Amino acid sequence: MKTYFQIIKNTWAEMMMYRLNFVLWRVRWVVQRLVVYFLWWAIFANRQEIFGYSQSMILTYVLLGSIVGTFVLGTTTMDIGGVINQGNLSNFLIRPVDFFRYYLARDIGDKLLNVVFAVVEIAILVLLLRPPVFVESNIWYILLSVVAVGIGALLYFFFSLLLGFFGFWSSDVWSPRFLSMVIMEFFAGGLFPLDILPKPLFAFARSLPFFYFIYFPIKVYLGQLSVISVVQGLATGLVWVGGLWYIAVLVWKKGLRVYTAEGK
Amino acid sequence: MEGMVISVSHLSKYYKVHKKEPGFLGSMRSLVHRQYETVKAVDDVSFVIDEGELVGFIGPNGAGKTTTLKCLSGLLYPTAGRVSVLDFTPFDRKTAFLKQIALVMGQKNQLWWDLPAMETFLLNKEIYEIPDDVYKKALSELVDLLEVEQILKVQVRKLSLGERMKMELIAALIHAPKVLFLDEPTIGLDVVMQKKMRDFIRAYNELHRSTILLTSHYMEDVRQLAKRVIIIDHGEILYDGKLDQLVKKFAKYKVLSVILETYVPPDKLKEIGELTDYDFPRAVIRVPRSASNVAAAQILQKFPVDDLNIEEPDIEDIIRDVFSQGK
Repeated sequence: MKTYFQIIKNTWAEMMMYRLNFVLWRVRWVVQRLVVYFLWWAIFANRQEIFGYSQSMILTYVLLGSIVGTFVLGTTTMDIGGVINQGNLSNFLIRPVDFFRYYLARDIGDKLLNVVFAVVEIAILVLLLRPPVFVESNIWYILLSVVAVGIGALLYFFFSLLLGFFGFWSSDVWSPRFLSMVIMEFFAGGLFPLDILPKPLFAFARSLPFFYFIYFPIKVYLGQLSVISVVQGLATGLVWVGGLWYIAVLVWKKGLRVYTAEGK
Repeated sequence: MEGMVISVSHLSKYYKVHKKEPGFLGSMRSLVHRQYETVKAVDDVSFVIDEGELVGFIGPNGAGKTTTLKCLSGLLYPTAGRVSVLDFTPFDRKTAFLKQIALVMGQKNQLWWDLPAMETFLLNKEIYEIPDDVYKKALSELVDLLEVEQILKVQVRKLSLGERMKMELIAALIHAPKVLFLDEPTIGLDVVMQKKMRDFIRAYNELHRSTILLTSHYMEDVRQLAKRVIIIDHGEILYDGKLDQLVKKFAKYKVLSVILETYVPPDKLKEIGELTDYDFPRAVIRVPRSASNVAAAQILQKFPVDDLNIEEPDIEDIIRDVFSQGK
């Protein structure tokens, strides 16, 4: 266990080495959120309700979505393809440390730091802009949405690992990642709630794992889902986690067999 | 067998290399129809290494040294053959195995680039589950041997290559491995630092009785450190034995080093043997081993000689010969 605390500690120390980089990253994030926020603000200028959402619901969705997105999609696993290609994976393999857990610990470090900042930023925005926000009063919905966020984070972790493992077979690790990012940005529901999409498209979105990254946890928080759909959603999310985990382990084992530990 | 730490039998490792013609068209063609070529990096290699041995592994670039080390440390899955290190199959990468070995690659770093080396040591302390007192003792021993007290808290990226290499060694040795694989540990270092590194490796080997397998381009590393060498080229072992035996076995000639008093035309010197170097007053002549005494007498008789030495050829030359024979 102490190993993983040390990894988290080192990850923080590493992030703090590049304070400016980190601050600019946060600024970019805030600006992006503001764009989405004001877009929705404008849409609601002279309306009470759109797509079944009230203004406060949608603004809550957008603001909360930025925090959930920061947590779920914050990762250090982006570099795994490079680590494999440049042969630096060897440094993990010769030590008695589990690669998956090592990166999970790094990710937790990364996520926690980013979330602390995101919460503070959003709190400031809320204080400044004073938007009508929806506060969930049912403790169960809050707890279940936290569970859903955890599931989403694990799901994205394994998904991102798999993208990194392309590195075992190809040196072109960024194209699959970019492609998936484009699809993911849309279907994770970070910009808008997915259920405003036409029915067939929503059904499609629902069949993807990205559905559980941002959209689903917030829907749980907003209390707009029936108990059955919440349980169903959590269960499906868990099945996705199990499936991707299984595939990731399989691909990892296959990959190690073809790993050539090359590079400079 | 008693004391046997590493055993390799009929190890082969082939790589499938994807061939691609240069340019965009070549890329497109390779997308449709990929051509592969099999490269035999290691081909049917066998050897045994006992506890406490310090063995030098030599060969030109691409000979298969590093591939062998990687198979031994569990990084690569062998194409064929059996490898056993401390009674483990390396590729299984069992924790008990990994806790007893270390691999240091001169061109790879495990240190966290943006943090002081100390942070990596602390992480390794946890990874290897080293008790506090053992860790403190090991760290202070290594820090003393390598004289790096003052730079422990400096960001790794700000260290010189030599300093970084020392830190890499500490990170790799903090768990006192029984078996140590060193892949080009002195690469890129200046002469002074190379010597320090060699001194350290020798001291470490004596202190801990650890088994060390070392590859290097620098003959000096091997000459200074290893009693036994394994010469490998094109994935095959050309020689495995004592370094001094190598000279006797493969050096079919001796070298006469002559200092002349007056100038002698090179043609005349060539009558004695193969004139490999002539820069008046110094001439170097190669003669067959058995004829060295006769040749020396001839030189003394025929030419005005200030000084004459009969020498064994340079190990580097012998090895070059071994490699050219192997082709």
